[in-house]
Amino acid sequence: MNALELTDVRKVYPVGDSEVVALDHASLTLGQNEILALVGPSGSGKTTLLSIAGGILSPSSGKVVVGGEDISDYSNGQLTRFRQEKVGFVFQSVNLVPFLTAAENLFVVDELGPRTGKPARATAGKLLDELGLAERTKNLPSQLSGGERQRVAIGRALMNDPDLVLFDEPTSALDTGLGAQVMELIRSEMKQRGISAIVVTHDPRITEYCDRTVQIVDGELSA
Amino acid sequence: MFLALREIGRAKARFGLLVSAIALLVFLILFQQSLQNGLLTSFTGAVKNQSAPVLVYSVDGQRVLQASVITPDLEQRVRSTEGVGEVGAIRQGTFTGAPLTESENFDTSVIGYDAGADGEGLGAPASLSEGRLPTRAFEGVASAADARNGYGVGDVVRIVPGDAEISIVGIAQEAQLNVGPTIFVSNETYLELVAAVNPDAGVPPPNVLGVAPAVGVTDAQVVEAINGQSLELDALTRSDAAAKTPGVAQVQQSFAIIFLLYALVVPCVTGLFFLIVTFQKAGALTLLRAIGASARSLVWSLLLQAVIILGAGLALGILLYLPVSQTRLGGLELQFEEGAVIGWSIALLALGLVSSLFAARRVLKIDPMEATTGRGVGQ
Ligand SMILES: Nc1ncnc2c1ncn2[C@@H]1O[C@H](COP(=O)(O)OP(=O)(O)OP(=O)(O)O)[C@@H](O)[C@H]1O
Ligand SMILES: [Mg+2]
Repeated sequence: MNALELTDVRKVYPVGDSEVVALDHASLTLGQNEILALVGPSGSGKTTLLSIAGGILSPSSGKVVVGGEDISDYSNGQLTRFRQEKVGFVFQSVNLVPFLTAAENLFVVDELGPRTGKPARATAGKLLDELGLAERTKNLPSQLSGGERQRVAIGRALMNDPDLVLFDEPTSALDTGLGAQVMELIRSEMKQRGISAIVVTHDPRITEYCDRTVQIVDGELSA
Repeated sequence: MFLALREIGRAKARFGLLVSAIALLVFLILFQQSLQNGLLTSFTGAVKNQSAPVLVYSVDGQRVLQASVITPDLEQRVRSTEGVGEVGAIRQGTFTGAPLTESENFDTSVIGYDAGADGEGLGAPASLSEGRLPTRAFEGVASAADARNGYGVGDVVRIVPGDAEISIVGIAQEAQLNVGPTIFVSNETYLELVAAVNPDAGVPPPNVLGVAPAVGVTDAQVVEAINGQSLELDALTRSDAAAKTPGVAQVQQSFAIIFLLYALVVPCVTGLFFLIVTFQKAGALTLLRAIGASARSLVWSLLLQAVIILGAGLALGILLYLPVSQTRLGGLELQFEEGAVIGWSIALLALGLVSSLFAARRVLKIDPMEATTGRGVGQ
């Protein structure tokens, strides 16, 4: 079973009286345990594609199947549940709840669905450990460096044991060295867990950490 | 639950300020409620807390004890009205009272009633906190609020001029009239006082009649029957008589306006606070929605916070009110008003919750898509 199948997906944003076609005829298949780099210029539709794959946005037309689950026609409530259970997100910039500590930013994921409590706390601790944040668990986001914040966000994305993790420019706020470190971390975490991922970037160096690269220009994909 | 509590925990100063503001408002509301009730009780307590269930005034007395006069003819009509059981004459006058233990004089309302051998006739004070009812001449029961001003049990109050002396033998609760010391005596004693002050006055007619309905007749029925007897008669149940005393309605109206303002300020403050907080943390809420928090759970979290903050504000406000409600303010004796505490708690909690629905509406409008665009907090 493929981690993600987009078939002829189109997304149109209404803007005033006209429309913006952000994604057109987008078809993409992501295999099990595959890390895909999605590269394209600003405004090309990368975030839009990611949002559709992650159930944050519904496509205007086309089919979206994630881990065998067709979410194309899901209601808002169904999408919320889907996001809660099946996918992990690392967003372009807004990633942490400012009034929660690093550990709580992970643990909060458990609070969104049926609570498990103790096991979730243990998972959060283990993840932060793996991400090299054992000493930072009680820090608020404002007391973390940019790289640390991004690592906490990666931990958060893994908390619900997702089938698919979506990274939207995970290194854009970091310098080159730190970006490489974070990408290495992403790769090892994904491979170790056998999770598929899409990493959006416009930095070609990032693609080295991915299995495959897909280009997007003006809402259209090309390998 | 987790989110709601953590947020409060991390922003103690901000939520603490709101709790303090609510507590202060709750305190002011309850304090003024006590003030209003204290004021009205000392104004008309003697009417409300006496034993005659129905009082009959003359219409031209305009529901003021002292201004009402019951002529023998009117008295006869009342006595012959169907459904009337017992009837007693009640007189009231204002005298200058000089407690022997004090150097000061006080305007003192004296209420005369048909006390009878046991002192329990119609118009007797309803509840004594100390002592007994008057059973002999020149004995009286004084209002509790004035006990410490020389109107306590065992004290003697001289009425000047005339120098008649009343021995206080009992203390009646909430039995003041016109915010001053009040003494209940038998009609015989009352007439002696009048004669002592003004030997030429003769025997004044009763000011009002106290009526008890016959067995099987309700107070309301007797009131209706008596009022049907003559256009000059104005019968009222005792609580109506107290509530319709001139001035009472005006006092209540003034306070009602104050209460209304407070009742608006509390939800405004609460509603605005949560709306601002919701705007400020819009980024975090959007992120939570994007990672799978349902809108409903975020709204619950908000309402839970509202309940916690309002509850804490109410508790603190009541705590502040507790000691103040036990004090005296000028001549007024304040009381802890349980009914007001419960009523206001429910009302303010409900109003506060309703006002935080504006913030809830804002939460419901959050589009998780915005988490992807890079706007918001964290950076
Ligand atoms: N909510 C929206 N309403 C209208 N137009 C939008 C909306 N979101 C995105 N667009 C438009 O859709 C197109 C694709 O946007 P998208 O955010 O997917 O680009 P992107 O490739 O992620 O760009 P960047 O690299 O700058 O993040 C852009 O032209 C953008 O202006
Ligand atoms: Mg983007």
